[in-house]
Amino acid sequence: MRVVIAEDLFLLRDGLVRLLSAHGFEITGAVGTGPELLQALLEHRPDVSVVDVRLPPTFTDEGLQAALEARRQVPGLPVLVLSQYVEQLYARELLADQAGGVGYLLKDRVFDDDSFVDAIRAVATGGTVMDPEVISKLLVRHSRNEPVARLSVRERDVLALMAEGRSNSAIAERLFVSEKAVGKHSTSIFAKLDLPPCGDDNRRVLAVLAYLNS
Amino acid sequence: MNLILIVFVVACVVVAWRRSGARAGHPEAWPRRIRAMGWGIVPLPIAIVAFGLFGANFWTISALLFSGIAVVLAPALAADAVSAGLVLIGMLGLLLATVAFSQGGLRGPRTVYARPLSALRTSDAPVARYAVIRPGNTSPWRNALILAEVAGFLGFGLWLVPRTFGANSWTLRELTGRVQRLAETRTAAVDGAAAELRRVERDLHDGAQARLVAVGMNLRAAERLIPASPQAALALVAEARETSSRALADLRDLVRGIHPPVLADRGLGDAVRALALDAPVKTSLDIDLPGRPDGPVESAAYFAIAEILANAVKHAGAHAVEIRIRHSEGMLRITVTDDGTGGADPAMGSGLRGIERRLDAFDGILAVSSPAGGPTIVVVEVPCALS
Repeated sequence: MRVVIAEDLFLLRDGLVRLLSAHGFEITGAVGTGPELLQALLEHRPDVSVVDVRLPPTFTDEGLQAALEARRQVPGLPVLVLSQYVEQLYARELLADQAGGVGYLLKDRVFDDDSFVDAIRAVATGGTVMDPEVISKLLVRHSRNEPVARLSVRERDVLALMAEGRSNSAIAERLFVSEKAVGKHSTSIFAKLDLPPCGDDNRRVLAVLAYLNS
Repeated sequence: MNLILIVFVVACVVVAWRRSGARAGHPEAWPRRIRAMGWGIVPLPIAIVAFGLFGANFWTISALLFSGIAVVLAPALAADAVSAGLVLIGMLGLLLATVAFSQGGLRGPRTVYARPLSALRTSDAPVARYAVIRPGNTSPWRNALILAEVAGFLGFGLWLVPRTFGANSWTLRELTGRVQRLAETRTAAVDGAAAELRRVERDLHDGAQARLVAVGMNLRAAERLIPASPQAALALVAEARETSSRALADLRDLVRGIHPPVLADRGLGDAVRALALDAPVKTSLDIDLPGRPDGPVESAAYFAIAEILANAVKHAGAHAVEIRIRHSEGMLRITVTDDGTGGADPAMGSGLRGIERRLDAFDGILAVSSPAGGPTIVVVEVPCALS
C-alpha cells in the first residue's frame, strides 16, 4: 500500500516512516510543508496519506488545507489527518464532502500501532475514522437532546466505536460481547436515531456522523 | 491678494480639521475636534469680516494670520500649556480684528475726506489747498468704544489663562484621569499575565512534568526487570505509554487555555464557530468580520466569549445562545444573548470580573443586562483595527 507522510518535525516523520515501513507500507513520499504535500498528493495519488494538521510555512492548519484541496481536485483521495488537538470544526470540514476515505486522529493514537495501522487501512479502503474525542464531544453536545438521550450506556459505547470506524467484530472484541450482540445494538441505535438501517460499515459511520453533526 | 489670503485661511481650517481627526474612530473624536478647534476658530470669522470690509492692510492681515495659526495649531497640539498659548494667539487675532474695525470706522473703509478750502482763502495766497480730516480717530465715543473692547478682550484673555493652565482645565483633567486609568489597567494587565504564568507553571509542574517523571521511572524499572521478568517489564512499559498519553492530554488542555490552536490557525470567527460546536447548547452565530484584529485583542475577545458562553450553560441553564460579532468604525462589537434564567452580576462572578480586567487593557468594555428570569445580554466592545 503506497502512502505519503506529511510531518514537519523530523523525529516524528522519521518515526512514522519506520512504523509504517515495519507494517509493510510503501512510503512514496515524506514531506515537511503544505505546498510539498499538495504536490505529492496530486502527483503520486497515494492509496492513503498521513498528514499533520500544522505544517510550515505558516504553521497554521496548512496540512488540513492541503488535504482538503487535494480532495477537492481528487474526490475521495484517502487522507488521515493527525493533530495534537482535535477540533470539531476541522472534523466537520473533512466530513463535509461525504466521500469517505477520511480520518482525523489525535497524534497520541500513534502509540497504539496496531489500531493506528488498522485506522490507516480503514481510511485507505474508503472508511471514515474519527478520534474518540470527536465522538465524545459530539455525544456531549447531543446529550440533552432527544433521541440521543434515549440511548443506553452500552448503545453509546457501540455508537462511539462505530463512529471511530470500527467493524462489528472489532467492536465486539473491544466490548467483550458477541458480534451478534453488537449487531443488535447497532440495529437498535439506528432505530432510535431514526436512520435507515445500513449494512455497509463505511456508509454506517458516515450516517452516524452526519446525524451527530447536524 | 485677497483671494490668496482666503485660500490660506480655508487651507488652515482643512489642515486643522484633518489633524484633529487623527483620532478618528475613537468615541471621543467629535468632542475632541470641537474642543480643540474652539478657541482657534472664534477670531477667524471676525478677522474674515474685517478683511472683507477694509481690504488688505496691516491690521486685517495680522488678524487673519494669527487666527489662522491658532486654528492650525490648536487641534494638532492639544497639550495643556500649548493650548493656553494658542488661546492667547487667538485672542491676539481677535484684538487685531477689532483694531481693524476701529481703524476703518463704522461708516466704511478708511478714506481721506477732502474739501476745497476756497472759503478760507486770504487776500494773498491760499494757506492750504485742502484740509485733511481723518474720521475715526477723532470721535471721542468711538475711542471709548475701542478702549472698552480692548479692555474687555484682554480681561477675558487674562480670565482664561489660569483656567487653561490650571488644574480645572478639561484637557488636564482628562489627561490626569487617563493616566490614572492607564496605570490601573497596566497594573492589572501585568498582574494578570504574571498570574497566568504562575498557573501555567503550576499546571506543568503538577501535570505533564510529573507524568514524564513517572514515565522515566517506569522505563528505568522495566529496563531492570527485562532480564528477570519480561512479563512484569511489559506491564510497566504499557503503563509508561499510558502515562505519556495522559501527559499529552494535560499539555493539550494547557495549550487550549493559553492560546487555542484554532484561534491561531483561523482567527476569531472560526475559533468561535469551534466553540459553538463544542458547546452543549444550541448556539447560533452571526459573525461578520472582514479581517483579523491584533493577536492580543483577538485572544481577549475569544476568552471573553468562551467565558460568557460557559456562564450561560453553567449558571443560567440556557438552552439557546446567540453570538453576534461585528466590526465597524474601529470598534469590535460582540453580543451574546441567552435564554437562561438571568441574574448575572459582573460584580459577583469572578469570571466576568476576569473578562473585564482583560478587556481593560485594550480600553474594551463589558456591559451586562441580566434581569432575574432572563434573558441575559452581554455586550463586549473593544476598539481595534482589523488587518
